[in-house]
Amino acid sequence: MSGLFTRALVAVTLASVLSGAAYAADPAAGKSVFQSTCGICHSAQPGANKIGPTLFGVVGRKTGSVPGYTYSPQNLAANLTWDPATLDKYLEAPRATIPGTKMTYAGLKDPAKRADLIAYLETLK
Amino acid sequence: MHPRSSKLFALMALSAAGWMSLHGPARTQPADVHPIPQSLRVEHDETIERLTMLAKRAGPVGAEARAALVVFKRHAAREQEFILPPLTLLPLLADGKVTPDMAWAVTMADRVKAEREQIFEEHTQVTDVLNALVVAATRAHDKDAAEFAEAAAADSLNDIELLEPTVLLIGDYLRARLPAAH
Repeated sequence: MSGLFTRALVAVTLASVLSGAAYAADPAAGKSVFQSTCGICHSAQPGANKIGPTLFGVVGRKTGSVPGYTYSPQNLAANLTWDPATLDKYLEAPRATIPGTKMTYAGLKDPAKRADLIAYLETLK
Repeated sequence: MHPRSSKLFALMALSAAGWMSLHGPARTQPADVHPIPQSLRVEHDETIERLTMLAKRAGPVGAEARAALVVFKRHAAREQEFILPPLTLLPLLADGKVTPDMAWAVTMADRVKAEREQIFEEHTQVTDVLNALVVAATRAHDKDAAEFAEAAAADSLNDIELLEPTVLLIGDYLRARLPAAH
């Protein structure tokens, strides 16, 4: 019985920690990450493509789908939907996720910064 | 070394030193390699000149420009060594002219193919340092410096989208058209 209680306690604690981590993502900090790592190539404004496509509305859209932007063939063929999970994977290692992508970015290795950045990207709608 | 060879070597060294003193270290193109297209040489020189000017400033803009200058110079030197020279052949190739003395470009194109991921990695480093320069310039309300850094980053993408694939095509084309001896 006490073993069951312990396992339940661990499960509740783990769930609490994980949900706490999710809620801890900070869009304001993510905006700062965006400016310091993404801003030279991407805008946050609708329809404003730069070297990279606009990231306005990126969460929920398909890869290679921004009008007026010329994607790499690899990105066009990737057939992914940019949700928090795919963004997290891509932002950590872009060329590993979509080999041949022309995004000149080595990857954001800090999971907390990625979470903040994705939280900010989710506000761009 | 044979005395006559020594004299010849000394003469060559003096000539090289004279050339350097005339043209100075600001030039990005050594004399003893295949040249790159003039338009790209101008672009490299202008970027280095602009970064050098920004690097002389105090504060964050100067610090980021100094970091960018180191990364850009290193990358530009490699571009000039073996990535961009084959592009000088394009006008001749477009006229249908292929001659055996173009074989050097196949060697360079093969190296580009072999080091493509490493070259891409260098572009990510260039973009990173230019991004940092944009951030510092924006904070300093220096619109000119920010716009310059953004334009330089666009040039980096131009390399990836156009120039490097073109070099690979030149290599494949020459390999197909040159005598089998190569």
